[in-house]
Amino acid sequence: MGSEVDDGVAPDGVIVVRDLRKRYGDLAAVDGMSFEVRRGEVFGMLGPNGAGKTTTIEIMEGMRKADSGTVFVDGIDVARSPKAVKSIIGVQLQAAQFFDHLTLAEIVGLYGTLYGRTVDSMALLDRVELSDKAKSYYQPLSGGQKQRLSIAVALVNEPVVLFLDEPTTGLDPQARRHMWDLVRSIHREGTTVLLTTHYMEEAEELCDRVAIMDHGKIIALDTPDALIDRLLATGFRHEREPKLANLEDVFISATGRSLREE
Amino acid sequence: MALYRALTVASLKMYFRNRQAIFWALFFPFLIMVIFGLLNFDRFNPPDVGIEDRAHNLVSETLVDALQGSSDDPLLDITLADSESLLDDLNDGDLDAVFVIPEGFGEVGLASTILVSYDVRRQQQRGIAIAILNETLEGLFRAIVDVPREYVFEDRFQISESAVQGQGQGFKGFLVPGIAAMAIMQAGIFGVVFTLVRFRAQGVLRRLFATPINPTHFLVGQVVTRLIIAVLQAFILLIVGALVLGVNVGGSVEAWMVLGLFSILGGALFISIGLAISGKARNEDTAAPISNIITMPMMFLSGVFFPLEALPDAVSSVSQFLPLTYLADGMRAVATGGAGIADVTGELLGLAVWTAIAFGVAARMFRWE
Repeated sequence: MGSEVDDGVAPDGVIVVRDLRKRYGDLAAVDGMSFEVRRGEVFGMLGPNGAGKTTTIEIMEGMRKADSGTVFVDGIDVARSPKAVKSIIGVQLQAAQFFDHLTLAEIVGLYGTLYGRTVDSMALLDRVELSDKAKSYYQPLSGGQKQRLSIAVALVNEPVVLFLDEPTTGLDPQARRHMWDLVRSIHREGTTVLLTTHYMEEAEELCDRVAIMDHGKIIALDTPDALIDRLLATGFRHEREPKLANLEDVFISATGRSLREE
Repeated sequence: MALYRALTVASLKMYFRNRQAIFWALFFPFLIMVIFGLLNFDRFNPPDVGIEDRAHNLVSETLVDALQGSSDDPLLDITLADSESLLDDLNDGDLDAVFVIPEGFGEVGLASTILVSYDVRRQQQRGIAIAILNETLEGLFRAIVDVPREYVFEDRFQISESAVQGQGQGFKGFLVPGIAAMAIMQAGIFGVVFTLVRFRAQGVLRRLFATPINPTHFLVGQVVTRLIIAVLQAFILLIVGALVLGVNVGGSVEAWMVLGLFSILGGALFISIGLAISGKARNEDTAAPISNIITMPMMFLSGVFFPLEALPDAVSSVSQFLPLTYLADGMRAVATGGAGIADVTGELLGLAVWTAIAFGVAARMFRWE
């Protein structure tokens, strides 16, 4: 993690985090974190609950102030210009809902206006396969549909970086795979994606590189392959030879890939 | 500007699509109005009667005494004055009827006619007053008048009635504008507090905070929406209340414009108080008691249901400065008291000062999370 940022100019990383710290009372939620996210990659933040993932992500999004350290997003200092950062990123927050009694098309259009843009709501809803729900309200949506709407809203400003905080938590296997396809297609179009997850399979499936955090610190950062090879090099082996398919493969093959919405 | 418009339009849509919320915002104050209107506190009191005694003799004074009844069981609530000022009071709705006792009343050989004027809208009070007058005259006739046998009661004492169309509006005229003012307070405070506390609990506000907008953008949209609601709600309650309870409201375009002004100022004031509370209240469990602690005393101390004069002086000397007092008094003066904007500058000023204070506090207390 080499390059210098002393002159305030961001290096090749689209996100550059330097010695970030944030305390809540006695708890050091973020305890001296430094890393970079490269332009165009899918970057995963992994770690147990309370490791500091959400706090870190909210500081990067300009929603929380760090006690010390710096974050640059696309060359902009988040602490100095949180609004400028907010206007170029897309966010999907944990447990944040949208207005009820507005249709999905109206919600997407309204959020476009908040970024000073006129958006094609139908095209964005189509993108997340919600165009058939364009006229329905927010509350009756299923969990997976609500998540997909939040992705559509996160895309209204054609963001440079998309932040996804636990995008698949609580979704059934079909909806999760669907979300993976969506993230891949956004990634293919050149958007940098930073996501947090508790599912290692998801990280392995989607992420170019992952950072594993605990107690507010990064304890490992590399490609999933390299991290696995490093563990194997220490002599680690599964006790049983893993089979070539797992129970999720059985579940999907038995119930199909198509989306279920209650 | 597009931002303000988009957020205002969105919150108006959300409000008007929530039919249940609209129903309760109108139904609850309307229910209070009808209940208190049916109780009609005027009815429980003895009729208010003004008497001019032109005779000033023993018989007339005995009559007035008898009409008064005992202090434990008053028959009529009597005001003695000259007929001209009494008829003015009757006209203003402060009296139910006026009796004029003629000169030479009860003197031997003279037939006496008592002139009775009454308010056509108060047939019930008129009936009671006339019945009491009749009964008392009959007693008087038997007891003290030295009559030859051939005289009958009807020849000696007569009652001549004339109807007056009163203008004052009595208790219902007091109640309807007061309830409309109270509804502005309730909708302003409870509407804002519960909407914002819910938005905060659902993370809706946090999601807005992730966009590049300012709190002001969002709050202006909320305030404008609520102001429109405040004016509509006040007008609907005034009109429906007037129709159902038989009160004359407004009367001129100017009066309705001043009422609109009061609704906007009062709306802004109570919305600001609501914003301040929603900044302080962590969740719905704390939002309700804080809102009630602020609204409940005002409901009863600001002259919504009964005049401030009914309160102990120590209380009314403070409660005359309450925000709702200014709003209720001002709206009442204009809606049913025939006042113009020049007559209510004090109330408008009082409201403006309170609004400025409340908005300042609200701007400091607002939080996204």
